[in-house]
Amino acid sequence: MRQSARFAFVIAIASACSGQGLDERAYDILKKNCIACHGAFKSSNLDLRTRETTIAGGERGEAIVPNYPERSRLYTLATHQLTPTMPPGKKLAEADLETLRLWIRAGAVWPASAAASGSKKDDDAEKKAAQKALEERIVTPEERAFWSFKQPVRPTVPGGAGANPVDAFLAAKWRELKLRPSVAADLRVQVRRVYLDLWGLPPTPEQVTEFVNDKRQDAWSRLVDRLLASPHYGERAGRHWLDLVRYADSGGFEYDSDRNSAWRYRDYVVNAFNSDKPYDRFIREQLAGDELAPNSGEAQIATGFLRHGPDHNVKNEMTRMDELDDIISATALTFQGLTLGCARCHNHKFDPIPQKDYYQIQSVFFSTKPKEFPLTDAETVAKNKAENTRIDNLVRPLRRRRGEIEKPARALILEEKLAKLPAYMGEAWRTPPEKRDEAQRLNARQIERAIEAIVEKDVLAKMTEGQKLDLTKVAAEMREIERQRPAPFASAMAITEEGAQALPSFFLHRGSPGNKGSEMTPGVFTVANWSRFEAPPPPAGATTSHRRLAFANWIASPENPLTARVMVNRLWQRHFGEGLVSTPNNFGRKGEPPTHPELLDWLATEFIGKGWSVKEMHRLMLNSSAYRMSSDDTEANRAIDLTNRYLWRMPRQRLDIETMRDGMLAAAGTLDRTVGGPAVLPYIDPVLFQGSSKRTWNGKEDSDPSTWRRSLYVFNKRSIRYPLFESFDQPDMMSSCARRNASITAPQALLMMNNAAIRIQAKQFAERLRREAGNDAGKQVDRAFELALARPPRESEKRESIEFVRRDDNALVDFCQGLFSLNEFAFMP
Amino acid sequence: MMNSHHTPQRFFSRRELLNRVGGGMAGLAFAQMAAQAAPSSRTDPMAPRMPHFPGKVKNVISIFCYGGVSQMDTFDPKPMLEKRQGEVMTGKGDVVVSQGTPGGLMPSPWKFKKYGQCGMDVSDLFPHVGGCVDDIAFVRSMYAISNDHAPSLYQMNTGFLLPGYPSMGSWITYGLGSENENLPGFVVFSDHRGGPIGGAPNWGNGYMPAAYQGTQFRSTGDPIVDLNPPKDMPRERQRRWLDYLAKMNAEHLAKNPLDTELTARIASYELAFRMQLSATEAVDVAKESEETRRLYGLDEEPTQFFGRQALMAARLVERGVRFVQIFSGGGNFQESWDAHWDIVENHGTHSRETDKPLAGLIKDLKRRGLFDSTLIIWHGEFGRMPISQRMDGRDHNPLGFTVWLAGGGVKGGTVVGSTDEFGYKAEENKRSVNDLHATILHLLGFDHEKLTYPHLGRNMRLTDVSGNVIREMLA
Repeated sequence: MRQSARFAFVIAIASACSGQGLDERAYDILKKNCIACHGAFKSSNLDLRTRETTIAGGERGEAIVPNYPERSRLYTLATHQLTPTMPPGKKLAEADLETLRLWIRAGAVWPASAAASGSKKDDDAEKKAAQKALEERIVTPEERAFWSFKQPVRPTVPGGAGANPVDAFLAAKWRELKLRPSVAADLRVQVRRVYLDLWGLPPTPEQVTEFVNDKRQDAWSRLVDRLLASPHYGERAGRHWLDLVRYADSGGFEYDSDRNSAWRYRDYVVNAFNSDKPYDRFIREQLAGDELAPNSGEAQIATGFLRHGPDHNVKNEMTRMDELDDIISATALTFQGLTLGCARCHNHKFDPIPQKDYYQIQSVFFSTKPKEFPLTDAETVAKNKAENTRIDNLVRPLRRRRGEIEKPARALILEEKLAKLPAYMGEAWRTPPEKRDEAQRLNARQIERAIEAIVEKDVLAKMTEGQKLDLTKVAAEMREIERQRPAPFASAMAITEEGAQALPSFFLHRGSPGNKGSEMTPGVFTVANWSRFEAPPPPAGATTSHRRLAFANWIASPENPLTARVMVNRLWQRHFGEGLVSTPNNFGRKGEPPTHPELLDWLATEFIGKGWSVKEMHRLMLNSSAYRMSSDDTEANRAIDLTNRYLWRMPRQRLDIETMRDGMLAAAGTLDRTVGGPAVLPYIDPVLFQGSSKRTWNGKEDSDPSTWRRSLYVFNKRSIRYPLFESFDQPDMMSSCARRNASITAPQALLMMNNAAIRIQAKQFAERLRREAGNDAGKQVDRAFELALARPPRESEKRESIEFVRRDDNALVDFCQGLFSLNEFAFMP
Repeated sequence: MMNSHHTPQRFFSRRELLNRVGGGMAGLAFAQMAAQAAPSSRTDPMAPRMPHFPGKVKNVISIFCYGGVSQMDTFDPKPMLEKRQGEVMTGKGDVVVSQGTPGGLMPSPWKFKKYGQCGMDVSDLFPHVGGCVDDIAFVRSMYAISNDHAPSLYQMNTGFLLPGYPSMGSWITYGLGSENENLPGFVVFSDHRGGPIGGAPNWGNGYMPAAYQGTQFRSTGDPIVDLNPPKDMPRERQRRWLDYLAKMNAEHLAKNPLDTELTARIASYELAFRMQLSATEAVDVAKESEETRRLYGLDEEPTQFFGRQALMAARLVERGVRFVQIFSGGGNFQESWDAHWDIVENHGTHSRETDKPLAGLIKDLKRRGLFDSTLIIWHGEFGRMPISQRMDGRDHNPLGFTVWLAGGGVKGGTVVGSTDEFGYKAEENKRSVNDLHATILHLLGFDHEKLTYPHLGRNMRLTDVSGNVIREMLA
């Protein structure tokens, strides 16, 4: 009694505070904050417009337990005691929460003014309106004025003509901050730097000498040109691109099936960089090569970009949405530096990317499906198909025959098993099929499946000698026929669509396929849409919707504010260690602003002006004086700019693991420099992948020279990582990686100290030294330093090294392995 | 907080971390984590760090019964299956199986008994674990999302159905660092029959630096692949080699004495050299008494293999390793708990291998005084169906399953939630994998909503955007 008396008193006070009754105030709060989703629209199947539907609740159970706020989900979610907290992304004012608490405590009575809506027709109209309101999110002019969404305007180069514009922009900042740029690096350092940077390989001693002795005025730019003209340049540039596009040679998940033609995409990328394919063309081919040039094998291979994501084992509507999410997230990250994936379930929290943009972009890709595009003539394909059909037809009766032979043995095994099970199973089995009730039908079906699933070994054990002999004969016949199967023809992992008519796709509220909103038409990033994107109908005779081509044209357009900026920033990051924008895959509001905005915009406009030529951009950056500076520290500069964001010196960059491994092979003289082709599988200790019948790794021995290819060609299996690469932060290829981590860990050191593959290369290196420098320790040490570090040893180094090498016969090998482990070896100087 | 032999090393300055560990934003997050650590050690990514509030436990041992354990045959008895054996399961909506068509209701082939002061029901598959129920809290109302192995394995270990996210062990070492720098902070043991479906991403570091990835340990021989020097380079020789390396690096460093990345790399070699001894010693079960070895079933088949792993896990935790995961079951089908047929052979085999060692682990951790600072979690990736498959097996079932926890902060002898009358769907007090993860982090001293790592413009969490601590099981 006392409790309720106090309770009544509290209500009286609360009501006295405003003109409205408690019920009206509570319902107002619901109307303002909840009913847009949990009204006619019934998000999570919850309708808060009436007391009955609220108590009945939605997918997560009852929303209100009258009189018990603490047991009412509406209250516990609104007070953020439980998740998902409501309303999404905000919290109600304390006063409102208190009102709700009191109102539920008082029994949660709906005000008369909240009478349920009338006819079904009203409800539908209300639902449509609610849905539409939820789907719209206006992008404001202020949001479009954010630096990366505005179109770049070409700035004037400071200090006028003459100097390399890169230097001019950097110098302006140095002057402003009173930084003194580093001196030029030693020529040997410069040459090692640019080889590692452009080829991912150290220079040979001869290449170093050639450059150092070249006294021509333009020796440096000639070197840069020479390096850019080599196929090794494309291998190096290709590796960076493959990180971005989550390239792997297998599909991931349970089966992690090998993708035996994925490497053709890798080679396509290498060739594209080597031939300086204009970047806008490169984009179009990867997103819509099949629509752009349907008869070009190269353009078809390029669309492999859309297929590199992990491949779900189970195919259903949800996993299809995941696949599409992988495609559009990778597209947005790679080409636009935007995190579109965040807008799958709600409007982007930080960037002006409405959820509707997400589903409009999804509609661009919605109709896609995988296609193996034959890279051979139609006649060969037809022949191959006919031959396979012929063999299938021969095998089928043999398979039936095998079944007949095994039948008695399988029946025996079944009887034994049934004897151990509850009686109902046997009864179901013995009941004639037409007399089985529903349960017996289900159980009998399971028995049939069980018979099929008995393993071959058990079946053989129950067979008579005669049956076994028959079986052997059939098996031999089958083997003989299977042997005639033709080798599969070369094909590309490509993409196509269901037809010229795109399939309808929808806005998905909260990202749920069960919660479809309006039908979507193709669209782009509204905030960056300066060129009025349009998706025209497909041309006559088209087999796909041509939505992707329209979308690709929009991305690859000079009017797109992001495309050129994002790409030149990636190139800058590669050469100077860190991008002008240090978050290369996030040009949104949560990303870092550029350190040199004018330089970035100048480069972006220059890139477009030079016909999207990537090599021209390399030339521009590499021919700057900045690129040739020393990487040594200066105390005075550190005091002003500790982390060298304004590039007063070249940063030392830890080499990625591919460049380290390739460098070891190169120094040892074992590197197979063949460009392109199928991937290779080096040795992995079986303990590390614990394979199964479905997942294997048939690595070759470390001593097998066929594995001494460049690291770019090592098979990239998603569930079985090559330990050396995994340990040194090679990305896991599950999503786009624009910048690798650079961990320093003890397991890395263990690999460098003890791994057999590295020891073998050290031995090869030692043999090479004996071959090329004879038995004189001094000459061996000289040669080793030239090969591994592109410089002769200093006097003290030489003394120490000779002493070390002279200890015993094997010490030369230890010495070689030591060079691989040096800090100097592991960094771009 | 640190072991006595821990020598703090200056790896990075805070500001340099912004650039070095994982790039700008990631570095910032790490630096924030690191700032909470002792001043002398805030610079090493694996240095011990304080959680958000004092945790009940410091280490976790996860027993992952890969393939999916049947709840109604182990810890969630369902007499209704006996009563309605062979009948069609009705009233549950569409019954979704992962393969083929649904069978009829199948009773458990095992009997249940009451154990402990709490009177817990445990089947004949786990009599030894039954003897420890007063130390164990069961959640019978777990549910997952996918009925496919790989996504469910990933979800259980990383919180996400897709590969590419940091695993629980990565989050915990990221949050707490390691108490023993001479050992990896996160160790994984596979079953002798093979690894789990989905492979490396199960213990991957996802978008975090490689410092936080799981290290796979062998169960016999050298614990880590490439731990010990090649035959032609014995330890003394390697010492001399390292000394030479140090001299050469010193000259290089002299030109850039302030570059802590160079210093850290030099230190990592010395650390690796010490790890060779400490890792070998840590897993040397021969150092344990005969009686201890028997407790884990090391003296007999079929417990010998898993028993050895469990004992190694105890020794690793004793030495400050944060997270140890042991997979029971490997490869496919009958090699794992994935009992699509003949559940008697399947679950019989796997429980015989693990039951006694699990009880041994609980008892041994108590003797060592580690039980209160360690959390043992026992789980699969999902449960199994109450209906039969291929006559004597059970198909995958993510809608209801049981996990159990034991150790510090856990209220022993409790049961949280329940499934329906058949054990098909979690019904009362349904608990998600996010809830389980939130609870584990809570016991370690973390608010799961605040343990974040920035990635692609978002502050990522182990628990994504949900998760509620299962308070009913906390002591």
